[in-house]
Amino acid sequence: MAAVAVKPTEPEVGKCVCPGDAVLALPETGVVRIGGGLQQEGAVLVASKAGVVRQAPRTGKLWVEPRQKRYIPSAEDAVVGRIIDKHSENYGVDIGAPFRALLPVLAFEGATKRNRPNLQVGDLVYARVESAHRDLEPVLSCTDAAGKASGFAHLKGGTVVEVSTTHARALLSRPPAAVLSALGRALQFEMAVGQNGRVWLDAPSPATVILVANAIQSSEFLSPAQQEHLVAALLRGSSAAAAAAARQRQQQQADGQQQEQQQGSGGDGK
Amino acid sequence: MEFVSPVGLRLDGRRPQELRAMRAQLGVLASADGSALFEMGNTKVLAAVFGPKPVEQRSREDEKRAVVRCEYAMAAFSTGERRRRGKADRRATEITKAIRNTIEQTILTELLPRSQVDVYVQVLQADGGTRCACINAAFLALAAAAVPMCDMVASCAAGYLESTPLLDLNYTEDAGGGPDVAVAIHPNLGDRLVLLQQDSRLAVDTFEEVLELAVAGCRKVAEFMRQTLLEHTQGLAAQRAAGDAAAEAAGGGGGGGSDEELDADDF
Repeated sequence: MAAVAVKPTEPEVGKCVCPGDAVLALPETGVVRIGGGLQQEGAVLVASKAGVVRQAPRTGKLWVEPRQKRYIPSAEDAVVGRIIDKHSENYGVDIGAPFRALLPVLAFEGATKRNRPNLQVGDLVYARVESAHRDLEPVLSCTDAAGKASGFAHLKGGTVVEVSTTHARALLSRPPAAVLSALGRALQFEMAVGQNGRVWLDAPSPATVILVANAIQSSEFLSPAQQEHLVAALLRGSSAAAAAAARQRQQQQADGQQQEQQQGSGGDGK
Repeated sequence: MEFVSPVGLRLDGRRPQELRAMRAQLGVLASADGSALFEMGNTKVLAAVFGPKPVEQRSREDEKRAVVRCEYAMAAFSTGERRRRGKADRRATEITKAIRNTIEQTILTELLPRSQVDVYVQVLQADGGTRCACINAAFLALAAAAVPMCDMVASCAAGYLESTPLLDLNYTEDAGGGPDVAVAIHPNLGDRLVLLQQDSRLAVDTFEEVLELAVAGCRKVAEFMRQTLLEHTQGLAAQRAAGDAAAEAAGGGGGGGSDEELDADDF
């Protein structure tokens, strides 16, 4: 293969590239915003990863999207982390990145020096990456930029399953992925998706948790129609769906009985 | 033994400047961050990449760049006679070093300070050219794991028997006692040499001829690996695009805005 012959002046968005491929010949003047997966070699932008060239519509930022399992932290990502260390000023959190992250003790809504959060080693948290410079340890925060909790908190109970970071991003996209809407229609569960490829799940019964975990992990390369089929097939053969259906029936019965002012047994499922 | 027949065919029916048939498969190990199975003729090699991850031994941590660790092993069943080799085998140590130096020059280690990338290469079937197949497999596994690299790296070997430069020697030709020149290049950076090793002796003019043949072979290997990577990426992208396109159609304009949230300044 000869040395790079084609130097495109317009980036071909949606094109698959290899490490070493020229993506764009940089113009003489002006600003080109780039994200991950691209390197500047003299006057050409060269891909450093194998993936698809993408461009953000508003800022025109170019990056290469590979299928990646490992997480490299970047600011404003929401991640699921496990506390591995407790110091006086901050917690050490494992987020699956090359370094341990730091979560300051005061980075919670309404936390003061006297009112500290009560987190132990081994607890799970859903936090936002506040800063992620490549030479420093990433710093997390359990509040959003304005200081409110907005969903970032200690995750009690439940389990964590691992997916690739690319799939985690797909699960966080709007509108929601087909697999999530299909599961949400049939079952009740709580979920927190971290962009570090970890998904926290909690549900009233273990069977539900296993079913949801199964569905999420198997749906990475399926089209929406296939994802719906997958969820339907899993629900057909499972006890979780039967339990959920039974609970719904009991709830309807309990509502009916409450109208007659009778104390029913088994009562209201939550 | 006659290595090149009067008609110009080698022992396995190839022409002197012909490469063996290559095959590659990506993502063969679910537990690794990136993995690849690479075949050159009968030589079959499996590579697995773990990383970038925290450094295991703090004493080895480098605050400016990533530490690249490499392990090369030959399975006991890889050669004609079953032979268990230890990891401290001298030949294995030398090949490990060669592979490690080659991929360390390819990975952009300054982008991942204080982290570690592990590359494990296992030879499943050995029929000559194992170190070249290992480098190629390691590159594909690194690309599958999305480790940032400055360029592709392609490797191939050439020899000189019966006054003919021969490309991509198999085991019988390699054992024929002639020289074996193993080369690895960065094809997009002007065919820059990354690895150059030679066994046995060779006159200088002949060496230039053999080196040029090996570099030409590397270019063909690079083209093959590039096609493999593009097909693999296109396959994944097509599956996901079918999902995205349908989701966007169903959800209206919501999909366009999510692009910005999804991108990341990750290296």
